[in-house]
Amino acid sequence: MRETLALTRYQLALLVRSQRWLAPLLLYAGLLAVGVRAGDPVLDSLGFAAAALLPTAVWLVRVCVTAEPAAARHCAAAATGPARAHLAGVVAGAAAAAVPGGAAVGLVTAVSSRWSTDGGGAIPVASAVVAGVCGVLTCVAVGTAVGVLCNRPLVGARGYAVAMSLLGTVVALVAGASPARAAVAALSRASAQGSVDVPWVELLCALAVAGLAVCAACAVVGRRP
Amino acid sequence: MSWAVTLDDVGRRYRAGGRWVLRGVDLEVRAGTLLRVEGGNGSGKSTLLRLLAGVEAPSAGRIRGLPGTRGYVPERFPAALPLTAAAYVTHLGRVRGLRGRAAARESTRWLERLGAGPYAGTRMRELSKGSSQKVAVAQALVGRPALLVLDEAWTGLDQSARAVLDEVVRERVAEGGAVVFVEHDPARLAAAPDAVVRIAAGGLAERAERGPRARAGTEPRPRTPRLRIEARGTPGAGAPAGLPRGARCRVTPEGVLSLTVPAAASDAALRTLLAAHPGWHVRSVREEDAAREEDAVQERGGPVGPAREEAGPG
Repeated sequence: MRETLALTRYQLALLVRSQRWLAPLLLYAGLLAVGVRAGDPVLDSLGFAAAALLPTAVWLVRVCVTAEPAAARHCAAAATGPARAHLAGVVAGAAAAAVPGGAAVGLVTAVSSRWSTDGGGAIPVASAVVAGVCGVLTCVAVGTAVGVLCNRPLVGARGYAVAMSLLGTVVALVAGASPARAAVAALSRASAQGSVDVPWVELLCALAVAGLAVCAACAVVGRRP
Repeated sequence: MSWAVTLDDVGRRYRAGGRWVLRGVDLEVRAGTLLRVEGGNGSGKSTLLRLLAGVEAPSAGRIRGLPGTRGYVPERFPAALPLTAAAYVTHLGRVRGLRGRAAARESTRWLERLGAGPYAGTRMRELSKGSSQKVAVAQALVGRPALLVLDEAWTGLDQSARAVLDEVVRERVAEGGAVVFVEHDPARLAAAPDAVVRIAAGGLAERAERGPRARAGTEPRPRTPRLRIEARGTPGAGAPAGLPRGARCRVTPEGVLSLTVPAAASDAALRTLLAAHPGWHVRSVREEDAAREEDAVQERGGPVGPAREEAGPG
């Protein structure tokens, strides 16, 4: 556990110093600027903020699992094992996505109107924040799963990896079975009905999906270093 | 602490149905031993080292008993990382379980010992090749991993850092760690290895065992590798002066010189020849055994080709 934390810290240091976090973060900021307006219903805006975080998470996970040149990756893998080294990269990417997601929940809650879509029901701030955080974490988890499944070690070539990441992002946002889509839909449904519906089940499903994806990737990473 | 890594019929290929890079390898690396791996280009030396370092999993067979922490110096270390040398080595120290300040202290200590102290604060992508090789070595040593795997780690280091690495390898073995290395210089640690493994065409061909030194009271003296240098000078010239100690020299009246020197002294011998007046034209540098075989073939009237040129050490 300590080794994995140390490796995650190393991966986060690489991410912060490399400035490769900048582009995904700008994407997220741009999407929020387009999609969130002051005075819009809070739960609708939180749903959008969560959905927009999914491609950001996919991108950040890709950045983290491809941050090191092969030689440096081998050195870190030798220290504790390739699976742990890969896990650390994934955790770093997911954490890096959760940070702007948390900030967005705060920002969106602050500028949005605390009413349902039709203006008929007041939305309590605390439950809006809880529902927003759940939605954001669901999208981070699904984005992490997409990022893990569409990059090394499972997809090696850069072109395929990027194409599959894009495709995976779209599928995760529109497919009926996707926990991310379900969580976003739950938020907008709650906004329409004026009653907060925290998407717990979606979050647990998303975490399970992400866990399975990470297990699959870590299981093969030794064979495809 | 006593441990041993065992490779059981281990094979490695990089895609299903592809070519076996390594096959049928049985090997044991015990604590407190030094193992040298030899083999031609593309024979799978580096792959074997990556398997031992735990970086890759075998495609066939099993590897058992890998110690929890390993240090690995890759063949090429293009350190295009956005961290400073000290920060990188410190991170690796933490990964091996050192806490906070101890990791930073040990990283500074290793960088300084290898002579990389002055650029500990330099970003790794700004380092020269030799300097980043020092960082590559330091990251493998920090946290004192039980198993050290060196893939031509000496290449690119300056003389003093090479000597330090020799010293560290001996220390690690004496402390009960194990060191496995590949090195193109046959003179490197020539007297030290407990075993030499030679890989030929994707499998282990032979293993020359010398037994752990702790048990062997008198270590059998290894045959130092020797090189034969052939050169042509002006007819009637005598043997050049100032050849290194241990050199055997023969000059024919036509001015063909045949010089046999210990591999470690070959650079000095070549320098003497090149600097001599009148000059010597070096025609070939070969391992003594290979030279003898070729000469035997020539004497038997076999195919006569141009002298095979091989790079000397260093």
